Amino acid sequence: MFELRKLPSILRVLHDNLKILPATGGAVEDLQRPDVDEIEDGLANKELTEISAFAEDPDPTGQPLYISTPPIHRIRDHLFRFFIDGSLRTYYIATAIERDRTFPVELAQIGSACIHRLQDGRLTAMSHSNRVLLLVPKGGEGMSEDVFDELTKLNTPDESFQVINTLAKTMHTSATEIDLRTRAGGIARNRMHRLEVNIINSTDGVRGEDSWVILDGAVKLDDFIQVDHLIGVAKSFDKKPQFHIPGSKTRNVDVTGLIAGLPYAHRTRAFQAHGGKVAFWYVRLWEQVHLDYPLMGVLKIELPCPTAQPAPVDLINRLSSALVAERSVTPYGQDKRWHCHLYPIYCAELTIKSRFYAHDVLLGAIRWPRPALATT
Amino acid sequence: MARGETNLDAVKPAESLQTPATAPGQARSQSSLHQLGNRQVVGRCSATDRNPSTSEKFQFWLAPDVIANPFDIVEVEQVHPEAGKSSVTYGLITSIDHITDAPSHLSNFISNNFGEVEEVPNTPRMGTSIAHVNVLSNSDEIYMPVPNERPVRFATEEGIQKALGMDALIKDQPNRAIPAGIIKLTSGQSAVAYLDRHYVLGPESAHVNISGISGLATKTSYAMFLIQSILHKAPDPDEIAVVILNVKADDLLYLDQPRTPLKNKEKEAAFQETWEAVGLKPVHFDPKKTHFFLPKGPGQEPNAHVKAGEIPKAMIYAYDLPHTADKLELLFATVPDTYSTLESIIGEVQKGLGDTKGKFKNVSSFDQLLTGEPLVKDGTAQPLGEIKVSSVGVFLRHMRRLIVTRSSGLFVRGALSIRQKVLSEELRKIKGGHTYVVDIAKLHDEEQTLVFGDIIRTLYKVKAEGSEDEQGNLLEGPEKILVFVDELNKYAPSGRQSSPIIDQVLEIAERGRSLGVILISAQQFMSAVHSRVTGNSATKVLGRAGSAEISTSDYRFLPDELKSSLTRLAKGELLLSHAIYRQPIKIAFPLPAYKQPGVK
Repeated sequence: MFELRKLPSILRVLHDNLKILPATGGAVEDLQRPDVDEIEDGLANKELTEISAFAEDPDPTGQPLYISTPPIHRIRDHLFRFFIDGSLRTYYIATAIERDRTFPVELAQIGSACIHRLQDGRLTAMSHSNRVLLLVPKGGEGMSEDVFDELTKLNTPDESFQVINTLAKTMHTSATEIDLRTRAGGIARNRMHRLEVNIINSTDGVRGEDSWVILDGAVKLDDFIQVDHLIGVAKSFDKKPQFHIPGSKTRNVDVTGLIAGLPYAHRTRAFQAHGGKVAFWYVRLWEQVHLDYPLMGVLKIELPCPTAQPAPVDLINRLSSALVAERSVTPYGQDKRWHCHLYPIYCAELTIKSRFYAHDVLLGAIRWPRPALATT
Repeated sequence: MARGETNLDAVKPAESLQTPATAPGQARSQSSLHQLGNRQVVGRCSATDRNPSTSEKFQFWLAPDVIANPFDIVEVEQVHPEAGKSSVTYGLITSIDHITDAPSHLSNFISNNFGEVEEVPNTPRMGTSIAHVNVLSNSDEIYMPVPNERPVRFATEEGIQKALGMDALIKDQPNRAIPAGIIKLTSGQSAVAYLDRHYVLGPESAHVNISGISGLATKTSYAMFLIQSILHKAPDPDEIAVVILNVKADDLLYLDQPRTPLKNKEKEAAFQETWEAVGLKPVHFDPKKTHFFLPKGPGQEPNAHVKAGEIPKAMIYAYDLPHTADKLELLFATVPDTYSTLESIIGEVQKGLGDTKGKFKNVSSFDQLLTGEPLVKDGTAQPLGEIKVSSVGVFLRHMRRLIVTRSSGLFVRGALSIRQKVLSEELRKIKGGHTYVVDIAKLHDEEQTLVFGDIIRTLYKVKAEGSEDEQGNLLEGPEKILVFVDELNKYAPSGRQSSPIIDQVLEIAERGRSLGVILISAQQFMSAVHSRVTGNSATKVLGRAGSAEISTSDYRFLPDELKSSLTRLAKGELLLSHAIYRQPIKIAFPLPAYKQPGVK
């Protein structure tokens, strides 16, 4: 059995050879399962490994990397009015056998909602959408077309129930992914994002210069979201990208190094992604002293730039300051991600999940027909 | 269905893409009240796994902008056995909570940037006010729990009467409905609170007890209002007599005189409106039918807070030996008598005075009793039968203290004059429709006990045995006699098992109903009064009380949420608990319509 008294020497080696950012509150138990948001950010930005260009105007080359963005509260500038989130739950319900082919059968609940914040701060559910999906692979090593067609006859006209082929290619899956259950999860996520796009489109006409939308997550959902007055906000993000900061002497730093030095109520400079179609930056919402480790309390913001032009610095500052103010109130005690979870987004999540069937109800509804007894 | 399986028929299908609940760009109206028909819905019933609706209680969330208060009466749609129909459940709001989704106070602290008091929340926490309601009644006697999501409305005036179970009484037997005050809801709706006469004056039950802190609870004012209400609304006012004891200054010595209108016109208008609202006229007691009795003082003036000339028709009452002898035990009610020695002596004296040929044949005055034989000889106490000298001496010492040295002037040591009335003799001639005010404000405690006991005993005898005039003709007494006494704790204190006066009061409390003697009593602390007296009062009226008082067991009939409200009642606000109400209600009542000394 490992002797704990050997731990200090191990820590000494790390400290002497590496730059260490200790967790402020001591060691923190890591997530039991993968961070879905981080994985999704990685999938959406999988080509984004090297970042070397700014995306703000005027160009900040040679300027400080961090900009002060003190909070601007709703009573002074009610900028963000609509908050959109999507949610899903997937269940593996059976393995099906057809002839000599074996494949998984998955069931998923997906939903999306838009929360509207009134002038006095009260929240109201503006629109929401829920679906139940049956996810099965069609063709190849999956289900026969005949059976799949039989199932699709059960699709509901209002699309509240749909049968989906998990062998379709999406942003979240590749044609070479052989794990069908993983593919099913990816397909479900893709369908959820389609709901989000529908919801975003339903805000046409109400978005404006003083009426922005916050989308939870990246602004690339299979395709780029091209609408105006919308930002994507990620609570958790991919740590792989490397930044080559332009200047008299190019500085190389990774995400962790970039964020570690970010002071409270400050933003980083905005960087280009996807050929300039997206500008992204980071904002710190909370003083580090209150949090367990340095990467907590930081949001990644993505701003669609359909014309691939840099975004005005005033706009970026305004968006960042308004976001810092959004930290109050916080779902502390209700969500482990409270430090970077915007309350209206949290409410949107609750709105969606309140319309899901409870786990026990859904699984209790799955009653496979009993085989007929032999009569002789 | 197997365990863990879901009843698919009971599961509501998921909603599809909704059209916006509000038109884009148009915020929902700042007032979130919904109009259903002609009546506003103020919230919806909310039943949860931890807080279910029951036959006795339910909860509902209040729509934003709705203001409600404890003691508001609401109505909610309820089930009905016939399809398509619904019944109505009425309830009384007992308390209101405000809940949010913050799991702890720490969440709120952290939301304000770890304790910054200047921080402004961009999004107020999701929260709502939850009203807790006790069920009062149902229109069809259905006491199923109120289902979740049922719309709730403030009750109408008619609904309030139905809630209290008085609607049928008002409609079919209005003579039995006694206005007892006004119920006012936060919605602005008001209604008269009625008492059922059969539960105030009998035969079902009787007696009224009023308690509350002095000066705040307006006990005396309410008692007078209630008495006037009973008399004005009674179909047989000439069958009801009223005996009132004045224990405080000259408060009740001007009942038959008109009040001075208030100088403030708004307040005067409000006064008139309040009386009109309860359906009564603001008139004083009838001077022709109101009689005053003032106690004799040491000199020419009565021992009262008024001079004789101020109430010209007042009679002076006093006690001499012949008219006190049969009540001596009342005079000694508070004197410790562990071995009943004094009781024995009193018994001997009473027996002796009733014997015209015995040892006491020459004793006809207090002076003779205290200075002459058989109790005293040559200035020295004498044994009385088997009772020792020392005991007789104790008796004499107490008698001298009560009659001579510490008397307020109530006792006549010799014989009464014609001007000095005997209270019991006057009350034996009690007439229905008349009010008799007996002043005891300045008497000593033992004298007050004597007078009160004398009154109770006399009235009890009048009803139980009938009375005769001087010619021996049988007098037809009133059917009901209302007796109002304040500071009941003096005469029937809690914690004491028995005394002549306690026994007297208990007799009235427990059996007076059947005879028609109705006790309307008041005291500061209900816990200070014998529990069998308050327990037999079918109607209890509670004014402001302290937290120590409401924690006593005497208030256990009140729901906990309403108990604490007693500590916050304003002057003139009272809780009314009546035999046929399922829950106590809050009422206000009009200011007195008779002259009040000191009121401008």
